[in-house]
Amino acid sequence: MTDSRFHIVIVGGGTAGWMTASLLVRRLPANDYRITLIESDEIGTVGVGEATLPHIKMFNDLLGIDEAAFMRATKASFKLGIEFRDWDRPGDRYIHPFGAFGEPWGGVEFQHHWLRARAAGHPVAALGAYSFAVSAAEAHVFDLPDEDPASIRSTYSYAYHFDAGLYAAFLRDWATARGVTRIEGQVLDIARDTASGDLTALTLKAGATVAGELFVDCTGFRSLLLAGQFEAPWEDWTRWLPCDRALAVPSMHSDDFHPYTRSTARTAGWQWRIPLQHRVGNGYIFSSQFIEVDDARDALLANLDGAPLAEPRLLRFMPGRRERSWIGNCVAIGLASGFLEPLESTSIYLIQAAAIDLANLMPRAESRGTPFDPALAAEFNRLTTMQYERVRDFLILHYIANRREGEPLWDYLRHMPVPDSLAHKLALFRARGALPNYQFGLFARDSWLSVLVGQGVMPEGHDRLADSYDLAMVTAKLDDFAGRIARGVRAMPGHADFIADYCAAPAVAAA
Amino acid sequence: MSGAPNRVVVVGRDAALWLAAAALRRALGGAGVEVAAVELPARLRPGRVHASLPPLEALHNRLGLDEATLLRATQGGYALGWNLVPPAGAPFFLAYGSYGAPIDGNPFFPYWLKARGLGMDAAFEDFSPTAMAARHGRVLLPDAETETFGRTDYGYHLPALAYAGLLKSIAHRAGVTLHQARDVLVERDETGDIRAVIADAGVRIEGALFVDASGSDAVLAGDAQPFVSWTAEQAADRLLVGHAPRFAAVPVYGETRIARDGWLALHATRGGTQVSFAYNSRNLPDEDALAAASALAALPLGDVSIETLDAGRRDTPWAGNCIALGAAACRLDPLFDLDLHVAQLGIVHLLSLFPVSGNFAAERDEYNRILGSTLARLHDVGAVFHALNRFEGPFWEAARAAPVPEAVAHKIAAFRARAEIAPMEDESFAPDWWQALFVGLGEAPRSWPPAIDTTSPERIKDEFRRVLGFVKRKVLDQPAHDAYLQLHGGGA
Repeated sequence: MTDSRFHIVIVGGGTAGWMTASLLVRRLPANDYRITLIESDEIGTVGVGEATLPHIKMFNDLLGIDEAAFMRATKASFKLGIEFRDWDRPGDRYIHPFGAFGEPWGGVEFQHHWLRARAAGHPVAALGAYSFAVSAAEAHVFDLPDEDPASIRSTYSYAYHFDAGLYAAFLRDWATARGVTRIEGQVLDIARDTASGDLTALTLKAGATVAGELFVDCTGFRSLLLAGQFEAPWEDWTRWLPCDRALAVPSMHSDDFHPYTRSTARTAGWQWRIPLQHRVGNGYIFSSQFIEVDDARDALLANLDGAPLAEPRLLRFMPGRRERSWIGNCVAIGLASGFLEPLESTSIYLIQAAAIDLANLMPRAESRGTPFDPALAAEFNRLTTMQYERVRDFLILHYIANRREGEPLWDYLRHMPVPDSLAHKLALFRARGALPNYQFGLFARDSWLSVLVGQGVMPEGHDRLADSYDLAMVTAKLDDFAGRIARGVRAMPGHADFIADYCAAPAVAAA
Repeated sequence: MSGAPNRVVVVGRDAALWLAAAALRRALGGAGVEVAAVELPARLRPGRVHASLPPLEALHNRLGLDEATLLRATQGGYALGWNLVPPAGAPFFLAYGSYGAPIDGNPFFPYWLKARGLGMDAAFEDFSPTAMAARHGRVLLPDAETETFGRTDYGYHLPALAYAGLLKSIAHRAGVTLHQARDVLVERDETGDIRAVIADAGVRIEGALFVDASGSDAVLAGDAQPFVSWTAEQAADRLLVGHAPRFAAVPVYGETRIARDGWLALHATRGGTQVSFAYNSRNLPDEDALAAASALAALPLGDVSIETLDAGRRDTPWAGNCIALGAAACRLDPLFDLDLHVAQLGIVHLLSLFPVSGNFAAERDEYNRILGSTLARLHDVGAVFHALNRFEGPFWEAARAAPVPEAVAHKIAAFRARAEIAPMEDESFAPDWWQALFVGLGEAPRSWPPAIDTTSPERIKDEFRRVLGFVKRKVLDQPAHDAYLQLHGGGA
């Protein structure tokens, strides 16, 4: 008996492949669609995306995944934000938190009240004191947020650090148990319809042929199908994001178990530190124009706080994206679609957003055998472009607003021309503390606020609507808010203790 | 120019003038901003009515204007949406409140679409408490149940003269300085910025920032800020407006009746009914317009005027130190009567971008960007309606043939392909409002997101029954519009 269902063939079994397979099998009716994922143990996955954004929780919830079980399986820790060390100037640091700064009073955004009190000479605290997530991160404590909106503990969210390889394996078990067919093998040959140009079938090294209606390219940087078959034009963003190499190395678990990702600026790029339950993920992202690989390796190894557990692994990439991610019946998701350095942990988010959009815009099963409506791809590509460009601008912001004078990479970054869309946002914040405010895509206002102020960009003015409020009342509210945060943080368990209690991975628990 | 502007001069007339002056002074008076209003002769004839969209309530709150006062002083009423009446076939309702409720986390609309394809006969609007309340002549009062269900937004129909008068008194009480002039002279400095306006009595009124709320005259913005005309692509080039007696029971919605030569709109209030008739003088001579309008309205019309429509907008509503507001900045096709909303958008964005220093280039850029985007999304509404109409007659044929902006083509294609409203920034209308519009115009999408097919038919039926039951029960609980106005809107 032949299977007449609409066949979706995913090529590549890394984080992108298994997240896409899981989401599609969860969202699409099994009577109409079947999903096959082809992966090869001989091809390694990148899997550097060990830090995530809070949206991942929504993704897991959509699948119905139990949080503690998932954290045990992926040896995960909690993440309340990202610490940026030495990014503005050596010695400076700030945390970009998952959560709000203060709250709007009288319909006026918080930062204006803060800026006004500051300008009036009131001894306001640093911005971080008004963020619960920042304060909890600094104290290395963690607890799940409170759902009661009146509680100060409802003002933050959280994400995870996990082993991306284990997450892909976890989702592989989850998806195959729900009907996704996994085929082990390498693609040797790709057949296309001569008239339409659509992909028709893949021939594997072992000889098997896999025919399908829609092909999802999750083959990473290689972009075997989209770039390989459709020559999708590449939009190069190196002029704004010059880092093009990474060296990644795990190191021994240490007691410095911070509930945030650490990013430390280095001469030719930056270094990440991601504490998992069982080890620490480290890496140096750098620009090959400004440092030799060997020097970068030495710098990375010299800056580990625990013994390395492997040889550093080199990754090469080019920042940018394919101008279209969906062409004909081929859709690229993940690195096959574009690459943005993991400075703000956006890789997994971009996979998630693309998988959700694809499920929504999936051609109808009845349309099998007829050309897809081009409006579906057009909308997918419009949404994907928006997602990538918004993340891009936010990443560039970290680089341009630096005061690391005398270091060639950083000097270049400080003076490079930036996209108009970003120049406009910067001018507006500098002039009056106004933050970008858009409904779709990353990042929200509070994220912009934390990085702008963290990078030393201080507005010259603030919204004059704030001047109508009694200054004494505003400063009292500021003090009260910071006090509520401090008390709330004091009542929370330590990050390590919370994990031991909630979701310790078996091996770690036994140790 | 050095310090932050502390003196704003608003030149204009009617609601746009007083809304702007009152809002600026109320919000920024505490920050030391003085506001002068220069009132030009009113253009409003008796019987004119503004239709407002839901966000106006929030602006009224900033003015300290509560709803009971508003309705009492203006003798206005509520508007839950629009009833569109085609010459043949069923009317359809564009409600400001929600249609249906999500099922299994998916939007309601594709479920309705699928069920219709399987023979279910309930209309989309049957699932909207707001639409059904309107059809039954009732208001829809929010409560815990409706809040759980979805939006219960509404607008108003406001007699324009009384509304302008009320706003003027609010502006006065807020400390706005009042001037009157038949006309103004504009005094500019060497950069082209406005230094002062001189009222016809010779009074010179200086300011650091000027707001042009003078309507299509654009007495300040005029030549300095080029106006891009849309007339070539507009279906209607004339609007006849007249006044008719009030309906015995005042409808709680606007009604638009489609005719061969154009369309006729009714805005009902307790003080009477505004009748407007849009047509194109190519197809219908002005001298025949009144007869056509009277026949369509089936009401006696008085105070009739005919205006020439000149739709279009300024790409830079804020240039130099002058901000063009409302009709001085943008005139949309009158189909959805968005004039007051356009003025409100300009005011709200000006408040949040009010200059903090003498150099306000950043504010100006952002204001022009966001107004541009917001007005483009509003323009889409009329463009979609005209492009997709299936009505007969030369007026509608021309409307179908007009070129559409790229965003509109994309919206239409995405809806046809997937029943999706392509998400865009700065929309004024909710996705389900758009869906009601598309469906009402006879669009039947070819497909829907497959995710909804994972919901069992039994569960869909149960949910539909639940929502229809809820709508029926809620509507029967509501007071009639007239009765509610008598209790809460000052009698009559």
